[in-house]
Amino acid sequence: MRRGLISWSPEEMPVATLEARVSRLQQAMREQELGAVLLHTSFAHPAAVHWLTNFTPYWSEALLVVLPQGTPVLLAALTQRVHPWIREVSHLGDVVTAPSLGVSALSYLGEHAAPGARVGVVGLAALPWSTAQPLMSSGWGPLLTDVSELFAQLRQPADMAELRLAARAEQMANAALKASPVTVQSTNVWASAIEAKARLGGAEELLQRIAPDLSHSPTLQRLEGDFPLGEKRAVELSLAYKGAWVRVTQMVCSGPQPASWLVAQNWFERACRSLRAPHADLSLAGEPPGRLVNWTLQSCMGAEPLQVVASDTGFALHPLPAQALALLTVHLQLADGPWYASQMLVLGTGDNDSRRLQDVAGQ
Amino acid sequence: MGQAGLDLLVVVGDAWRSDYLRFVVDVTPMEGVAMVALGRTGTTCVWVQHPAEAARWQQALPLAVVVCVADPATAVLAHLAQVPASAVGLAPSQVAPLSLAAGTLGETLAACTTMLDGLMVNKSLEEADALARSVRLADEGYAVFKQAARVGRREFELVADVEAWFRSQGCPENFMILGSGGPELRSMHPAGERRLAPGDLVTTELTPCADGYYTQICRTLVMGEPSQAQRDAFAVFRQALEAGIAVVRPGATHGDVAKAQNDVFRQHGLGDYVTSQYTRVRGHGLGLFVDGPHVLEGMPLVLEENMTLVVHPNTYHPVAGYIVLGDTVRVTATGCEVLTTTPRELFSVPL
Repeated sequence: MRRGLISWSPEEMPVATLEARVSRLQQAMREQELGAVLLHTSFAHPAAVHWLTNFTPYWSEALLVVLPQGTPVLLAALTQRVHPWIREVSHLGDVVTAPSLGVSALSYLGEHAAPGARVGVVGLAALPWSTAQPLMSSGWGPLLTDVSELFAQLRQPADMAELRLAARAEQMANAALKASPVTVQSTNVWASAIEAKARLGGAEELLQRIAPDLSHSPTLQRLEGDFPLGEKRAVELSLAYKGAWVRVTQMVCSGPQPASWLVAQNWFERACRSLRAPHADLSLAGEPPGRLVNWTLQSCMGAEPLQVVASDTGFALHPLPAQALALLTVHLQLADGPWYASQMLVLGTGDNDSRRLQDVAGQ
Repeated sequence: MGQAGLDLLVVVGDAWRSDYLRFVVDVTPMEGVAMVALGRTGTTCVWVQHPAEAARWQQALPLAVVVCVADPATAVLAHLAQVPASAVGLAPSQVAPLSLAAGTLGETLAACTTMLDGLMVNKSLEEADALARSVRLADEGYAVFKQAARVGRREFELVADVEAWFRSQGCPENFMILGSGGPELRSMHPAGERRLAPGDLVTTELTPCADGYYTQICRTLVMGEPSQAQRDAFAVFRQALEAGIAVVRPGATHGDVAKAQNDVFRQHGLGDYVTSQYTRVRGHGLGLFVDGPHVLEGMPLVLEENMTLVVHPNTYHPVAGYIVLGDTVRVTATGCEVLTTTPRELFSVPL
């Protein structure tokens, strides 16, 4: 709940890019004979609407209506006073005041969607009931259809504008971690240094999870209060820059870096390169130098900025296309303690290795 | 739950609406959706969407069963099909998803949400004490903001200074918006890239959190010496804030607090500017969520001892622009205690 800079730079995110994304969705809508697509957005689940419009709600919620033609329209629970700001930071058609999103959506569909047409909803099952209920109990209810899979297929691979924003975000995150002093004694001082560097760089949001003393616990914690730092610790920093989310991990040792960490890093880099679309498989990297506690592949497929799409348990398997922007995270238990790593990647396929995001879009 | 006849309560939350989960199990979600099934007896079950979240929840709730799944709602429904609970409730209505609420569980949504709202708004002595402790962050955070505000700095650089300071205090969350400019300024918003200029009004609302409880302060400063017009406008806001706080006592309603503030604007011929065209609310409850029950004319919520709220007559002034001024108060047996201690001044930043 700590939104910082929210802005839209057409140089970084051109209007043409946003319009191309909307056009792809509208083309798919016509092919599927959808009269409209609805996308819900909130502080916690902003990614789908941001991808189409550059709009991120810092507060409250909104519903984007995409018709087969024209610029998307935002039904916003935010008051009308805020509409000028919404227009400043996003590319939208109309912005409609909508104290009740579901009721307003009914009204809008009634006026603008073809009668009897199916209406797609990205994340229908997850739609908040307060928004869903008026729609479900109306004549549109039987016509609502989940289009999460359709949207996911459009969402990746990432276009160059997104890759550049994500690369910038990753640079900010790494710079913030490098700026954090190694010799400090408490999480408050450490986290404050990270926060200052990243925010001054223009970060929109930071989520910090820290394992302050790996000899005591491997758990990456939400920081609430101050914790003494041990000799070995880990930080996982999730950072958003103009809607592009990345995650980086840093292992820190106040003494000499353990040799085991270098071995683990070498294995992890092989693992990164070896990933291939559509299904992640870590076995191609060979045996890890310790027990593989868990791994995930994460990507943006819908409203979640970074959603688990593959993991050691296979609970969320979702194929990704080549050139998809993804995040590999690994947690190993080495002989001398826990070890974490993560890397933003552009997925390869066939004979082509996956590549680090910075190698593809870093400047 | 016993009084409501509930065997089991399913509570849903995310990084924004974390308050209900924080209330029932004292854990705050960071990413994705989290769902908790809390029984009157038996093991608490938790479903989250990220392995890192699962590890964190498990550490916080060592006796709970914590499961990482792609679709927590489907997992909850599968769980409910297996447990013998006869009376199951669901909350809150703001974030409970269609997949859980579309069936019979949805019929419990309003009552269960109201039940939890009532428990959260009527604070125990310990909760009110926790909130009072966190007020220090709001006051000292505003001092950091004032120090950060310098001509030429961009809005987001002020946020950087404030957020870094909050982190240095172990503060896990802060809701913050601001505005900078002149009479064209109609509201606050997230930080942008605008650079502060001489003569700007700079407004902010800081809402830091400690022990789960949010407090809020709203203040306005001027880059340079305030003009007489700015001083005159600010005087109306101070008078309105004082009038609002004066009626906070057990038995008064949120509507009474709003009316007292709005009457001051009306007395000054500024009645148009307390309408929804120019302003949102005249304050709101505070607690585990940044934006509790609204203070608006006609709102019937009756104040009771240990309730906490921010009173803020924030709105647009046709001469000076958007001005904010607000204090966190705690209802006492005979009136209220103003918890924030920052002077109610139109601050001036030397050029």
